[in-house]
Amino acid sequence: MARSQEELNALSLSEAARLVKRKEVSPVELVDASLSRIAAVDARLKAYISVFADEARQVAKAAEIMTMAGHDLGPLHGIPIALKDNVATKGTRTTAGSRILGDWKPAQDAAVATRLRQAGAIFVGKLNMHEFAWGGTSDNPHYGAVRNPWNTEHFPAGSSGGSGAAIAARTCYGAIGTDTGGSIRLPSAINGIVGIRPTYGRVSNRGIIPLAWSMDTAGPMTRTVEDCALMFGTIAGHDPEDPTTARVATCDYTASLDQGVRGLRVGVIPGYFFHHLQPPVLAAVKQALDTLVGLGAQIVEVEIENIHGNISAQLTIESAEPSTYHQRWLRERPDDYGADVRSLLEIGEMLLATHYLQAQRYRSLLRNEFMDAFRKVDVFICPTLPFTATKVGAMKVVIEDGIEEDMLSAIMQYTGVPSLTGLPSLNVPCGFDPNGLPIGMQIIGKPFDEATLFRAGAAYQSVTDFHTKAPTL
Amino acid sequence: MPAKPPLSPEQVRELARLADLPLAPGRADVITPTLAAWIDDANALSRKMSAAQHQDLVPATVFTHPLANDAEQ
Repeated sequence: MARSQEELNALSLSEAARLVKRKEVSPVELVDASLSRIAAVDARLKAYISVFADEARQVAKAAEIMTMAGHDLGPLHGIPIALKDNVATKGTRTTAGSRILGDWKPAQDAAVATRLRQAGAIFVGKLNMHEFAWGGTSDNPHYGAVRNPWNTEHFPAGSSGGSGAAIAARTCYGAIGTDTGGSIRLPSAINGIVGIRPTYGRVSNRGIIPLAWSMDTAGPMTRTVEDCALMFGTIAGHDPEDPTTARVATCDYTASLDQGVRGLRVGVIPGYFFHHLQPPVLAAVKQALDTLVGLGAQIVEVEIENIHGNISAQLTIESAEPSTYHQRWLRERPDDYGADVRSLLEIGEMLLATHYLQAQRYRSLLRNEFMDAFRKVDVFICPTLPFTATKVGAMKVVIEDGIEEDMLSAIMQYTGVPSLTGLPSLNVPCGFDPNGLPIGMQIIGKPFDEATLFRAGAAYQSVTDFHTKAPTL
Repeated sequence: MPAKPPLSPEQVRELARLADLPLAPGRADVITPTLAAWIDDANALSRKMSAAQHQDLVPATVFTHPLANDAEQ
């Protein structure tokens, strides 16, 4: 039965993958639907920097022939996927959202790109982002400000804002983002989609332009938890050429999605998680916790003695490391940076070595406290960020009492904890504010226990429908 | 204790000179407010982490002997 473009765009990644394997949908149809959707909406969204229309159609045709011949490349066979533009793709422009790399065509794929291709994925394009991933708005001075599909006057967050917008707008079935201080989780929450920051060392960073070496991760962004688990399984695992990756076994991350959360111990830190956030965000996350309790989970209140101060440590590390990476370009080509990134890179040059090392000592302290807490809980749940999407161009945000706050510090109020501790963290959509803007909750887990995050998220999505909503464009 | 004077653009230009970073005219004025806030917070964190109860904490970025671990595999 022929499906319309709209019906094809509305499929989840998992549904599309099943239909391809059953030969009920062709990769050619999926790619055509994605490319048509991109053509229809991306002039407004600016989610893409490059679109690979011709190549994607050629690969789709080949994938179709292979399918009809009974050959299956893997879990993503024939599925249109897009990648954040700091992920190297062989022979195609990879800009990192910058003018400085505007003409760079890598000689090799990044490790995640190689693994996705090996799983059968078809790349439809490269996604817009905050310049060099150093920011949380995706207001890109070189390639245009990315817009939020739920309200194009509002931002998509960042730095993987193009990835978030592309998925929310149904232009592709999965996207790769990167997350240092929140750059997968924030656009996932703000765009009403699922995204995972993996355990540090679970996914290779080889071939990805770095922001902060000691905190960078890469992960999938999708419409559903099932999709995320499926895509995650294709990229997770040790890379002998990336010494930061861990020799820890992976698993089938989809195997336990239907096992529910009965008995799951969910940790909350009331004095931090439910403090200083917009009322609709608080209400949505508390409702989500009630939903999980209704499914058999139990809430455990925990104190993390030294959680306050994590934002300063986050900013110190996240500024000193990129400033180090960018030292040559900042001296040779300072005017080629956008204003905000240039300022952050200059600032990062002037923090002291002792500031940096004290921040790294703080990471050890915070991680020790969380690992101690994991003896009493299985996961933590909190808001992903304390506010919903602000207007494009805003550098300040009002959270409480009409007081304007700096965007960068405010946006990482909750996402900094997994970044500093190396713990995995999954954003799951959990509601909308009165203006129809998405809200997300963050599920934080033990090291290398992404399967539990997916299980909890899937259980939540089995009784809610926030992930099924789509913006009107 | 008298309040310390806020970080000044001239001090920021001195920091840039120490870092061998040629700051274009006007740049110090742009970045001073944010740098001042971040340094205040970083100094507060440094004081916290210098406390006696944290004396034995090592930074999260120390070598973990990956080559030796590989040899044991």
